[in-house]
Amino acid sequence: MLAYVNAVISGILIGLAYAIAALGLNLIWGVMKVINLSHGAFIAFGMFAAYMSVKLLGVSVYTSLIPIFVAGLIVGIVAFFVSLYRVLNAPELTTLLSTYSLSLILIGLGTFFFTTNPRAIDTHLGSITLGYSSISYSRIIVGLISLFLAGTLYLFLFKTSLGKAIRAVSQNPTAAKLYGINTTLVLSISFGIGVAFASVSGALIASLFPFTILSGGVYELKSFVICVLGGLGSPAGAILGGLILGLLENLLSLKMPVDYMPFIEFSILVIILLIKPNGILGRR
Amino acid sequence: MSCVLEIKNLNAGYGEIQILWDVSIKTCSGLCAIIGSNGAGKTTLLRAITGIIPTMSGSIIFDGKDITKLPAHIRAQMGVIMVPEGRLLFGEMSVLENLQMGAYLKRAKDKYKQNLDFVFSLFPKLSERINQKAQSLSGGEQQMVAIARGLMADPKILIFDEPSLGLSPKLTIEVFSIIKNLKEKGIAMLLVEQNVHLSLSIADNAYVLSEGKLVLSGSGGDLLENPQVKEAFLGL
Repeated sequence: MLAYVNAVISGILIGLAYAIAALGLNLIWGVMKVINLSHGAFIAFGMFAAYMSVKLLGVSVYTSLIPIFVAGLIVGIVAFFVSLYRVLNAPELTTLLSTYSLSLILIGLGTFFFTTNPRAIDTHLGSITLGYSSISYSRIIVGLISLFLAGTLYLFLFKTSLGKAIRAVSQNPTAAKLYGINTTLVLSISFGIGVAFASVSGALIASLFPFTILSGGVYELKSFVICVLGGLGSPAGAILGGLILGLLENLLSLKMPVDYMPFIEFSILVIILLIKPNGILGRR
Repeated sequence: MSCVLEIKNLNAGYGEIQILWDVSIKTCSGLCAIIGSNGAGKTTLLRAITGIIPTMSGSIIFDGKDITKLPAHIRAQMGVIMVPEGRLLFGEMSVLENLQMGAYLKRAKDKYKQNLDFVFSLFPKLSERINQKAQSLSGGEQQMVAIARGLMADPKILIFDEPSLGLSPKLTIEVFSIIKNLKEKGIAMLLVEQNVHLSLSIADNAYVLSEGKLVLSGSGGDLLENPQVKEAFLGL
Protein backbone atom coordinates (compact mmCIF):
# COMPACT_ATOMS: atom_id res chain seq x y z
CA MET A 1 0.00 0.00 0.00
CA LEU A 2 2.77 2.37 1.05
CA ALA A 3 4.61 1.63 -2.16
CA TYR A 4 1.54 2.70 -4.14
CA VAL A 5 1.18 5.99 -2.30
CA ASN A 6 4.83 6.67 -2.99
CA ALA A 7 4.44 5.77 -6.64
CA VAL A 8 1.41 8.05 -7.06
CA ILE A 9 3.15 11.08 -5.50
CA SER A 10 6.35 10.43 -7.43
CA GLY A 11 4.40 9.84 -10.59
CA ILE A 12 2.59 13.15 -10.34
CA LEU A 13 5.80 15.08 -9.67
CA ILE A 14 7.78 13.48 -12.49
CA GLY A 15 4.74 13.65 -14.75
CA LEU A 16 4.78 17.42 -14.41
CA ALA A 17 8.39 17.51 -15.64
CA TYR A 18 7.41 15.32 -18.62
CA ALA A 19 4.55 17.73 -19.26
CA ILE A 20 7.04 20.60 -19.58
CA ALA A 21 8.94 18.69 -22.27
CA ALA A 22 5.67 17.86 -24.03
CA LEU A 23 4.45 21.48 -23.83
CA GLY A 24 7.49 22.55 -25.85
CA LEU A 25 6.76 20.00 -28.56
CA ASN A 26 3.06 20.82 -28.49
CA LEU A 27 3.53 24.58 -28.81
CA ILE A 28 5.69 24.18 -31.91
CA TRP A 29 3.20 21.78 -33.48
CA GLY A 30 0.26 23.98 -32.54
CA VAL A 31 1.71 27.18 -33.96
CA MET A 32 3.51 26.05 -37.11
CA LYS A 33 2.31 22.48 -37.71
CA VAL A 34 5.87 21.19 -37.55
CA ILE A 35 6.85 18.02 -35.72
CA ASN A 36 10.14 18.98 -34.17
CA LEU A 37 12.37 15.92 -34.45
CA SER A 38 15.23 17.85 -32.82
CA HIS A 39 13.19 18.00 -29.59
CA GLY A 40 15.22 15.20 -27.97
CA ALA A 41 18.50 16.85 -28.93
CA PHE A 42 17.40 20.03 -27.14
CA ILE A 43 16.38 18.01 -24.08
CA ALA A 44 19.90 16.53 -24.07
CA PHE A 45 21.30 20.04 -24.54
CA GLY A 46 19.48 21.09 -21.35
CA MET A 47 20.76 18.04 -19.48
CA PHE A 48 24.37 18.76 -20.35
CA ALA A 49 24.03 22.49 -19.85
CA ALA A 50 22.82 21.76 -16.31
CA TYR A 51 25.58 19.20 -15.79
CA MET A 52 28.29 21.63 -16.92
CA SER A 53 26.86 24.45 -14.81
CA VAL A 54 26.99 22.29 -11.70
CA LYS A 55 30.36 20.74 -12.52
CA LEU A 56 32.30 23.73 -13.83
CA LEU A 57 30.60 26.75 -12.31
CA GLY A 58 29.55 25.12 -9.09
CA VAL A 59 26.04 26.66 -9.18
CA SER A 60 22.98 24.72 -8.11
CA VAL A 61 21.09 22.96 -10.87
CA TYR A 62 18.03 25.08 -10.06
CA THR A 63 19.92 28.35 -10.56
CA SER A 64 21.13 27.06 -13.90
CA LEU A 65 17.54 26.82 -15.15
CA ILE A 66 17.29 30.55 -15.83
CA PRO A 67 20.33 30.82 -18.14
CA ILE A 68 19.35 27.50 -19.72
CA PHE A 69 15.89 28.86 -20.52
CA VAL A 70 17.36 32.02 -22.05
CA ALA A 71 19.97 30.01 -24.00
CA GLY A 72 17.25 27.63 -25.22
CA LEU A 73 15.16 30.57 -26.40
CA ILE A 74 18.06 32.10 -28.35
CA VAL A 75 19.29 28.77 -29.76
CA GLY A 76 15.71 27.97 -30.77
CA ILE A 77 15.24 31.26 -32.63
CA VAL A 78 18.55 30.77 -34.45
CA ALA A 79 17.65 27.15 -35.23
CA PHE A 80 14.32 28.32 -36.65
CA PHE A 81 15.96 30.67 -39.14
CA VAL A 82 18.70 28.18 -40.03
CA SER A 83 16.67 25.02 -40.47
CA LEU A 84 12.97 25.83 -40.71
CA TYR A 85 12.19 29.27 -42.05
CA ARG A 86 12.83 28.49 -45.70
CA VAL A 87 11.01 25.14 -45.71
CA LEU A 88 7.91 26.05 -43.67
CA ASN A 89 5.62 26.04 -46.70
CA ALA A 90 7.14 22.90 -48.17
CA PRO A 91 5.43 19.51 -47.69
CA GLU A 92 5.60 18.04 -44.15
CA LEU A 93 8.34 15.59 -45.04
CA THR A 94 10.75 18.48 -45.63
CA THR A 95 10.34 19.93 -42.15
CA LEU A 96 10.66 16.43 -40.65
CA LEU A 97 13.93 15.88 -42.52
CA SER A 98 15.17 19.34 -41.69
CA THR A 99 14.57 19.06 -37.93
CA TYR A 100 15.86 15.47 -37.99
CA SER A 101 19.12 16.55 -39.59
CA LEU A 102 19.43 19.31 -37.00
CA SER A 103 19.03 16.63 -34.36
CA LEU A 104 21.75 14.46 -35.96
CA ILE A 105 24.16 17.39 -36.03
CA LEU A 106 23.50 18.36 -32.41
CA ILE A 107 23.70 14.79 -31.08
CA GLY A 108 26.83 14.18 -33.17
CA LEU A 109 28.53 17.24 -31.72
CA GLY A 110 27.40 16.28 -28.22
CA THR A 111 28.77 12.77 -28.60
CA PHE A 112 32.09 14.17 -29.79
CA PHE A 113 32.45 16.47 -26.78
CA PHE A 114 30.83 14.44 -24.01
CA THR A 115 31.05 10.80 -25.24
CA THR A 116 28.12 8.55 -24.45
CA ASN A 117 29.18 7.89 -20.86
CA PRO A 118 26.38 8.17 -18.33
CA ARG A 119 26.38 11.21 -16.04
CA ALA A 120 24.36 12.23 -13.03
CA ILE A 121 23.77 15.37 -11.01
CA ASP A 122 23.62 14.90 -7.27
CA THR A 123 21.43 17.51 -5.59
CA HIS A 124 22.26 16.28 -2.04
CA LEU A 125 18.86 17.26 -0.78
CA GLY A 126 17.67 14.12 0.99
CA SER A 127 14.01 13.34 1.37
CA ILE A 128 10.97 14.22 3.37
CA THR A 129 8.80 11.73 5.21
CA LEU A 130 5.10 12.38 5.00
CA GLY A 131 3.28 9.95 7.21
CA TYR A 132 4.66 6.62 6.04
CA SER A 133 5.85 7.64 2.62
CA SER A 134 9.12 9.23 1.74
CA ILE A 135 9.60 11.59 -1.19
CA SER A 136 12.90 13.11 -2.22
CA TYR A 137 13.08 16.90 -2.01
CA SER A 138 14.54 17.09 -5.49
CA ARG A 139 11.36 15.56 -6.93
CA ILE A 140 9.17 17.99 -5.05
CA ILE A 141 11.22 20.92 -6.34
CA VAL A 142 11.07 19.59 -9.91
CA GLY A 143 7.29 19.23 -9.61
CA LEU A 144 6.86 22.75 -8.25
CA ILE A 145 9.11 24.36 -10.86
CA SER A 146 7.26 22.50 -13.62
CA LEU A 147 3.94 23.67 -12.28
CA PHE A 148 5.26 27.24 -12.16
CA LEU A 149 6.51 27.01 -15.77
CA ALA A 150 3.21 25.61 -17.03
CA GLY A 151 1.29 28.36 -15.21
CA THR A 152 3.60 31.03 -16.60
CA LEU A 153 3.19 29.71 -20.13
CA TYR A 154 -0.58 29.81 -19.71
CA LEU A 155 -0.53 33.41 -18.47
CA PHE A 156 1.85 34.37 -21.26
CA LEU A 157 -0.32 32.83 -23.99
CA PHE A 158 -3.65 34.13 -22.70
CA LYS A 159 -2.87 37.44 -21.03
CA THR A 160 -0.03 39.11 -22.93
CA SER A 161 -0.11 40.78 -26.30
CA LEU A 162 2.69 38.62 -27.73
CA GLY A 163 1.04 35.49 -26.33
CA LYS A 164 -2.23 36.40 -28.00
CA ALA A 165 -0.36 37.04 -31.24
CA ILE A 166 1.10 33.51 -31.00
CA ARG A 167 -2.39 32.06 -30.55
CA ALA A 168 -3.72 34.18 -33.41
CA VAL A 169 -1.00 32.91 -35.75
CA SER A 170 -1.71 29.31 -34.72
CA GLN A 171 -5.42 29.74 -35.43
CA ASN A 172 -5.23 31.70 -38.64
CA PRO A 173 -1.85 32.80 -40.02
CA THR A 174 -3.34 34.73 -42.97
CA ALA A 175 -5.68 36.77 -40.79
CA ALA A 176 -2.81 37.41 -38.37
CA LYS A 177 -0.75 38.88 -41.22
CA LEU A 178 -3.69 41.00 -42.38
CA TYR A 179 -3.93 42.56 -38.94
CA GLY A 180 -0.29 43.55 -38.71
CA ILE A 181 1.28 40.60 -36.92
CA ASN A 182 4.78 39.80 -38.11
CA THR A 183 4.18 36.08 -38.47
CA THR A 184 7.83 35.20 -39.14
CA LEU A 185 8.85 36.84 -35.88
CA VAL A 186 6.03 35.16 -33.98
CA LEU A 187 6.91 31.75 -35.42
CA SER A 188 10.59 32.14 -34.51
CA ILE A 189 9.74 33.16 -30.95
CA SER A 190 7.33 30.22 -30.62
CA PHE A 191 10.04 27.85 -31.78
CA GLY A 192 12.41 29.49 -29.29
CA ILE A 193 9.94 28.98 -26.44
CA GLY A 194 9.41 25.36 -27.49
CA VAL A 195 13.16 24.74 -27.44
CA ALA A 196 13.53 26.60 -24.12
CA PHE A 197 10.89 24.31 -22.58
CA ALA A 198 12.66 21.24 -23.99
CA SER A 199 16.00 22.41 -22.55
CA VAL A 200 14.62 23.26 -19.13
CA SER A 201 12.77 19.96 -18.92
CA GLY A 202 16.06 18.25 -19.78
CA ALA A 203 17.78 20.08 -16.93
CA LEU A 204 14.95 19.18 -14.52
CA ILE A 205 15.04 15.52 -15.52
CA ALA A 206 18.84 15.51 -15.21
CA SER A 207 18.48 16.56 -11.59
CA LEU A 208 16.58 13.32 -10.91
CA PHE A 209 17.94 10.57 -13.15
CA PRO A 210 21.30 9.63 -14.67
CA PHE A 211 21.58 10.43 -18.38
CA THR A 212 23.77 10.24 -21.47
CA ILE A 213 23.91 12.43 -24.56
CA LEU A 214 21.50 9.95 -26.16
CA SER A 215 18.87 10.17 -23.39
CA GLY A 216 17.04 12.97 -25.18
CA GLY A 217 15.50 10.42 -27.54
CA VAL A 218 13.83 8.58 -24.64
CA TYR A 219 12.15 11.77 -23.45
CA GLU A 220 11.31 12.85 -26.97
CA LEU A 221 9.34 9.61 -27.30
CA LYS A 222 7.61 10.32 -23.99
CA SER A 223 6.74 13.82 -25.25
CA PHE A 224 5.18 12.37 -28.39
CA VAL A 225 3.14 9.88 -26.40
CA ILE A 226 2.00 12.64 -24.02
CA CYS A 227 0.99 14.97 -26.87
CA VAL A 228 -0.94 12.28 -28.71
CA LEU A 229 -2.54 11.08 -25.45
CA GLY A 230 -3.61 14.55 -24.31
CA GLY A 231 -4.37 15.92 -27.76
CA LEU A 232 -1.93 17.55 -30.18
CA GLY A 233 -2.08 21.32 -29.97
CA SER A 234 -3.81 21.35 -26.59
CA PRO A 235 -1.66 22.75 -23.74
CA ALA A 236 -4.01 21.40 -21.07
CA GLY A 237 -3.83 18.04 -22.84
CA ALA A 238 -0.05 18.05 -22.54
CA ILE A 239 -0.28 18.48 -18.78
CA LEU A 240 -2.95 15.82 -18.42
CA GLY A 241 -0.96 13.47 -20.66
CA GLY A 242 2.22 14.14 -18.65
CA LEU A 243 0.47 13.27 -15.40
CA ILE A 244 -1.02 10.08 -16.85
CA LEU A 245 2.34 8.94 -18.21
CA GLY A 246 4.18 9.79 -14.99
CA LEU A 247 1.64 7.90 -12.89
CA LEU A 248 1.59 4.93 -15.23
CA GLU A 249 5.35 4.71 -15.28
CA ASN A 250 5.71 4.82 -11.52
CA LEU A 251 2.85 2.44 -10.81
CA LEU A 252 3.84 -0.11 -13.45
CA SER A 253 7.46 -0.11 -12.32
CA LEU A 254 6.25 -1.69 -9.09
CA LYS A 255 5.13 -4.74 -11.06
CA MET A 256 7.54 -5.03 -13.97
CA PRO A 257 11.10 -4.12 -14.96
CA VAL A 258 11.66 -0.48 -15.96
CA ASP A 259 13.08 -1.72 -19.28
CA TYR A 260 9.54 -2.47 -20.40
CA MET A 261 8.51 1.18 -20.28
CA PRO A 262 9.36 2.14 -23.90
CA PHE A 263 7.32 -0.86 -25.02
CA ILE A 264 4.37 0.25 -22.89
CA GLU A 265 4.69 3.84 -24.15
CA PHE A 266 4.72 2.75 -27.77
CA SER A 267 1.69 0.57 -27.14
CA ILE A 268 -0.17 3.55 -25.65
CA LEU A 269 0.77 5.60 -28.71
CA VAL A 270 -0.58 2.96 -31.09
CA ILE A 271 -3.75 2.33 -29.08
CA ILE A 272 -4.57 6.05 -28.78
CA LEU A 273 -3.97 6.57 -32.49
CA LEU A 274 -6.33 3.68 -33.21
CA ILE A 275 -9.21 4.48 -30.88
CA LYS A 276 -9.00 8.26 -30.21
CA PRO A 277 -6.58 9.84 -32.68
CA ASN A 278 -7.34 13.37 -31.46
CA GLY A 279 -6.35 12.58 -27.89
CA ILE A 280 -8.30 13.19 -24.72
CA LEU A 281 -8.58 16.97 -24.99
CA GLY A 282 -7.82 17.41 -28.69
CA ARG A 283 -9.99 19.42 -31.01
CA ARG A 284 -12.16 17.58 -33.51
CA MET B 1 -7.19 65.29 -55.39
CA SER B 2 -4.80 62.72 -53.92
CA CYS B 3 -5.88 59.14 -54.06
CA VAL B 4 -5.72 56.67 -51.19
CA LEU B 5 -4.87 53.73 -53.38
CA GLU B 6 -3.50 53.67 -56.87
CA ILE B 7 -2.63 50.49 -58.71
CA LYS B 8 -0.63 50.77 -61.91
CA ASN B 9 -0.24 47.97 -64.48
CA LEU B 10 -0.37 45.23 -61.90
CA ASN B 11 0.55 41.69 -62.92
CA ALA B 12 0.17 39.00 -60.28
CA GLY B 13 -0.67 35.36 -59.79
CA TYR B 14 0.34 32.19 -58.03
CA GLY B 15 3.79 30.81 -58.78
CA GLU B 16 4.04 30.42 -62.55
CA ILE B 17 0.37 31.03 -63.17
CA GLN B 18 -0.47 34.62 -63.96
CA ILE B 19 -3.99 35.71 -63.04
CA LEU B 20 -3.98 39.51 -63.28
CA TRP B 21 -2.89 41.25 -66.47
CA ASP B 22 -2.01 44.94 -66.42
CA VAL B 23 -4.70 45.98 -63.98
CA SER B 24 -4.85 49.68 -63.09
CA ILE B 25 -7.25 50.98 -60.47
CA LYS B 26 -7.67 54.20 -58.51
CA THR B 27 -9.57 54.62 -55.26
CA CYS B 28 -9.71 58.21 -54.17
CA SER B 29 -12.39 58.48 -51.53
CA GLY B 30 -15.70 56.89 -50.79
CA LEU B 31 -16.53 53.44 -52.01
CA CYS B 32 -14.95 51.73 -54.97
CA ALA B 33 -16.47 48.45 -56.13
CA ILE B 34 -14.82 45.74 -58.18
CA ILE B 35 -17.17 43.32 -59.86
CA GLY B 36 -16.63 40.34 -62.07
CA SER B 37 -17.69 36.73 -62.41
CA ASN B 38 -16.14 33.81 -60.56
CA GLY B 39 -12.48 33.38 -61.45
CA ALA B 40 -12.15 36.91 -62.82
CA GLY B 41 -9.27 37.58 -60.40
CA LYS B 42 -11.03 39.77 -57.84
CA THR B 43 -9.72 37.93 -54.79
CA THR B 44 -6.26 37.68 -56.35
CA LEU B 45 -6.27 41.45 -56.80
CA LEU B 46 -7.11 41.98 -53.14
CA ARG B 47 -4.45 39.49 -52.05
CA ALA B 48 -1.89 41.41 -54.08
CA ILE B 49 -3.03 44.71 -52.58
CA THR B 50 -2.78 43.42 -49.01
CA GLY B 51 0.50 41.62 -49.67
CA ILE B 52 -0.65 38.05 -49.08
CA ILE B 53 0.75 37.17 -52.51
CA PRO B 54 3.72 38.87 -54.23
CA THR B 55 3.30 40.95 -57.37
CA MET B 56 5.07 40.06 -60.61
CA SER B 57 5.29 43.61 -61.92
CA GLY B 58 3.52 46.94 -61.68
CA SER B 59 3.12 49.09 -58.62
CA ILE B 60 0.76 49.67 -55.72
CA ILE B 61 0.78 53.18 -54.31
CA PHE B 62 -0.93 53.71 -50.99
CA ASP B 63 -1.22 57.14 -49.40
CA GLY B 64 1.50 58.41 -51.73
CA LYS B 65 3.95 55.63 -50.82
CA ASP B 66 4.99 52.68 -52.95
CA ILE B 67 4.03 49.55 -50.99
CA THR B 68 4.54 47.02 -53.79
CA LYS B 69 7.45 45.27 -52.09
CA LEU B 70 6.36 45.60 -48.46
CA PRO B 71 5.28 42.53 -46.45
CA ALA B 72 1.61 42.17 -45.48
CA HIS B 73 2.01 43.12 -41.81
CA ILE B 74 3.75 46.40 -42.69
CA ARG B 75 0.93 47.29 -45.11
CA ALA B 76 -1.54 46.61 -42.29
CA GLN B 77 0.49 48.92 -40.05
CA MET B 78 0.13 51.63 -42.66
CA GLY B 79 -3.65 51.24 -42.65
CA VAL B 80 -4.44 48.79 -45.47
CA ILE B 81 -6.97 46.56 -43.73
CA MET B 82 -9.00 43.75 -45.25
CA VAL B 83 -12.09 41.94 -44.06
CA PRO B 84 -11.22 38.69 -45.82
CA GLU B 85 -13.41 36.29 -47.74
CA GLY B 86 -14.63 33.51 -45.47
CA ARG B 87 -14.10 35.86 -42.51
CA LEU B 88 -10.93 34.10 -41.23
CA LEU B 89 -11.76 34.77 -37.59
CA PHE B 90 -9.59 33.50 -34.76
CA GLY B 91 -12.10 30.75 -34.01
CA GLU B 92 -10.82 29.58 -30.62
CA MET B 93 -10.69 33.12 -29.33
CA SER B 94 -13.56 35.06 -27.79
CA VAL B 95 -15.34 37.83 -29.70
CA LEU B 96 -13.56 40.42 -27.55
CA GLU B 97 -10.16 38.83 -28.20
CA ASN B 98 -10.86 38.91 -31.93
CA LEU B 99 -11.57 42.64 -31.63
CA GLN B 100 -8.39 43.08 -29.58
CA MET B 101 -6.41 41.29 -32.29
CA GLY B 102 -7.90 43.73 -34.78
CA ALA B 103 -6.45 46.53 -32.68
CA TYR B 104 -3.08 44.77 -32.33
CA LEU B 105 -1.19 47.59 -34.03
CA LYS B 106 0.16 50.54 -32.11
CA ARG B 107 -1.89 53.08 -34.09
CA ALA B 108 -5.09 51.13 -33.49
CA LYS B 109 -4.28 50.39 -29.83
CA ASP B 110 -4.22 54.11 -29.08
CA LYS B 111 -7.79 54.43 -30.33
CA TYR B 112 -8.96 51.11 -28.84
CA LYS B 113 -11.60 52.47 -26.48
CA GLN B 114 -13.04 54.90 -29.02
CA ASN B 115 -13.18 52.29 -31.80
CA LEU B 116 -14.68 49.68 -29.49
CA ASP B 117 -17.52 52.05 -28.59
CA PHE B 118 -18.06 52.78 -32.27
CA VAL B 119 -18.10 49.07 -33.19
CA PHE B 120 -20.57 48.26 -30.42
CA SER B 121 -22.83 51.11 -31.51
CA LEU B 122 -22.75 49.62 -35.01
CA PHE B 123 -23.29 46.03 -33.82
CA PRO B 124 -25.11 46.17 -30.48
CA LYS B 125 -25.55 42.38 -30.62
CA LEU B 126 -21.81 41.81 -30.35
CA SER B 127 -21.55 43.57 -27.02
CA GLU B 128 -23.75 40.84 -25.56
CA ARG B 129 -21.48 38.11 -26.87
CA ILE B 130 -18.00 39.35 -26.08
CA ASN B 131 -17.02 36.23 -24.14
CA GLN B 132 -18.34 33.71 -26.62
CA LYS B 133 -15.89 31.83 -28.83
CA ALA B 134 -15.97 33.24 -32.36
CA GLN B 135 -16.46 29.83 -33.95
CA SER B 136 -19.63 29.24 -31.93
CA LEU B 137 -21.42 32.20 -33.56
CA SER B 138 -23.78 32.00 -36.51
CA GLY B 139 -22.56 32.95 -39.99
CA GLY B 140 -24.12 36.40 -39.85
CA GLU B 141 -22.70 37.13 -36.42
CA GLN B 142 -19.29 35.94 -37.55
CA GLN B 143 -19.43 38.35 -40.48
CA MET B 144 -20.21 41.14 -38.03
CA VAL B 145 -17.21 40.19 -35.90
CA ALA B 146 -15.07 40.19 -39.06
CA ILE B 147 -16.23 43.69 -40.03
CA ALA B 148 -15.89 44.90 -36.44
CA ARG B 149 -12.35 43.48 -36.26
CA GLY B 150 -11.52 45.37 -39.45
CA LEU B 151 -12.83 48.62 -37.98
CA MET B 152 -10.87 48.06 -34.76
CA ALA B 153 -7.70 48.25 -36.87
CA ASP B 154 -8.50 51.91 -37.57
CA PRO B 155 -8.18 51.48 -41.34
CA LYS B 156 -7.19 54.18 -43.81
CA ILE B 157 -8.73 51.99 -46.45
CA LEU B 158 -11.06 49.13 -45.58
CA ILE B 159 -11.20 46.33 -48.11
CA PHE B 160 -14.13 43.92 -48.22
CA ASP B 161 -13.79 40.58 -49.97
CA GLU B 162 -17.23 39.09 -50.66
CA PRO B 163 -18.84 40.24 -47.39
CA SER B 164 -22.23 38.80 -48.30
CA LEU B 165 -20.94 35.34 -49.18
CA GLY B 166 -23.00 32.68 -47.45
CA LEU B 167 -25.40 35.15 -45.88
CA SER B 168 -29.17 35.15 -46.19
CA PRO B 169 -30.74 37.94 -48.31
CA LYS B 170 -31.87 39.71 -45.15
CA LEU B 171 -28.38 39.67 -43.65
CA THR B 172 -26.90 40.72 -46.99
CA ILE B 173 -29.06 43.85 -46.93
CA GLU B 174 -27.96 44.44 -43.35
CA VAL B 175 -24.27 44.16 -44.27
CA PHE B 176 -24.75 46.54 -47.18
CA SER B 177 -26.52 49.09 -45.04
CA ILE B 178 -23.56 48.97 -42.65
CA ILE B 179 -21.14 49.51 -45.54
CA LYS B 180 -23.26 52.43 -46.69
CA ASN B 181 -23.25 53.78 -43.16
CA LEU B 182 -19.43 53.54 -43.03
CA LYS B 183 -19.22 55.34 -46.36
CA GLU B 184 -21.16 58.23 -44.89
CA LYS B 185 -18.65 58.29 -42.02
CA GLY B 186 -15.98 58.99 -44.64
CA ILE B 187 -14.02 55.73 -44.49
CA ALA B 188 -12.40 54.90 -47.84
CA MET B 189 -13.44 51.45 -48.94
CA LEU B 190 -12.79 48.91 -51.64
CA LEU B 191 -15.52 46.35 -52.15
CA VAL B 192 -15.39 43.10 -54.05
CA GLU B 193 -18.79 41.51 -54.37
CA GLN B 194 -20.79 38.93 -56.22
CA ASN B 195 -23.94 40.92 -55.59
CA VAL B 196 -23.44 43.29 -58.51
CA HIS B 197 -26.67 45.24 -58.26
CA LEU B 198 -26.30 46.10 -54.60
CA SER B 199 -22.61 46.98 -54.89
CA LEU B 200 -23.05 49.23 -57.90
CA SER B 201 -25.96 51.04 -56.32
CA ILE B 202 -23.84 52.13 -53.34
CA ALA B 203 -20.47 52.53 -55.11
CA ASP B 204 -19.00 55.91 -56.09
CA ASN B 205 -16.90 54.35 -58.78
CA ALA B 206 -16.53 50.81 -60.02
CA TYR B 207 -14.43 48.52 -62.17
CA VAL B 208 -15.33 45.37 -64.02
CA LEU B 209 -12.77 42.57 -64.14
CA SER B 210 -12.96 39.75 -66.61
CA GLU B 211 -10.41 36.97 -66.99
CA GLY B 212 -7.85 38.96 -65.06
CA LYS B 213 -8.18 42.08 -67.19
CA LEU B 214 -9.97 45.34 -66.57
CA VAL B 215 -12.80 45.67 -69.10
CA LEU B 216 -14.96 48.55 -67.87
CA SER B 217 -14.86 51.36 -65.39
CA GLY B 218 -17.05 54.24 -64.41
CA SER B 219 -19.30 55.54 -61.69
CA GLY B 220 -21.53 53.03 -59.93
CA GLY B 221 -24.64 54.57 -61.48
CA ASP B 222 -23.22 54.54 -65.01
CA LEU B 223 -22.20 50.90 -64.82
CA LEU B 224 -25.60 49.97 -63.45
CA GLU B 225 -27.07 51.35 -66.70
CA ASN B 226 -24.35 49.89 -68.92
CA PRO B 227 -25.83 47.34 -71.36
CA GLN B 228 -22.79 45.03 -71.12
CA VAL B 229 -22.99 44.95 -67.34
CA LYS B 230 -26.74 44.44 -67.49
CA GLU B 231 -26.39 41.51 -69.80
CA ALA B 232 -23.41 39.84 -68.11
CA PHE B 233 -24.28 40.27 -64.44
CA LEU B 234 -27.80 41.40 -63.95
CA GLY B 235 -29.51 39.05 -66.37
CA LEU B 236 -31.46 41.85 -68.00
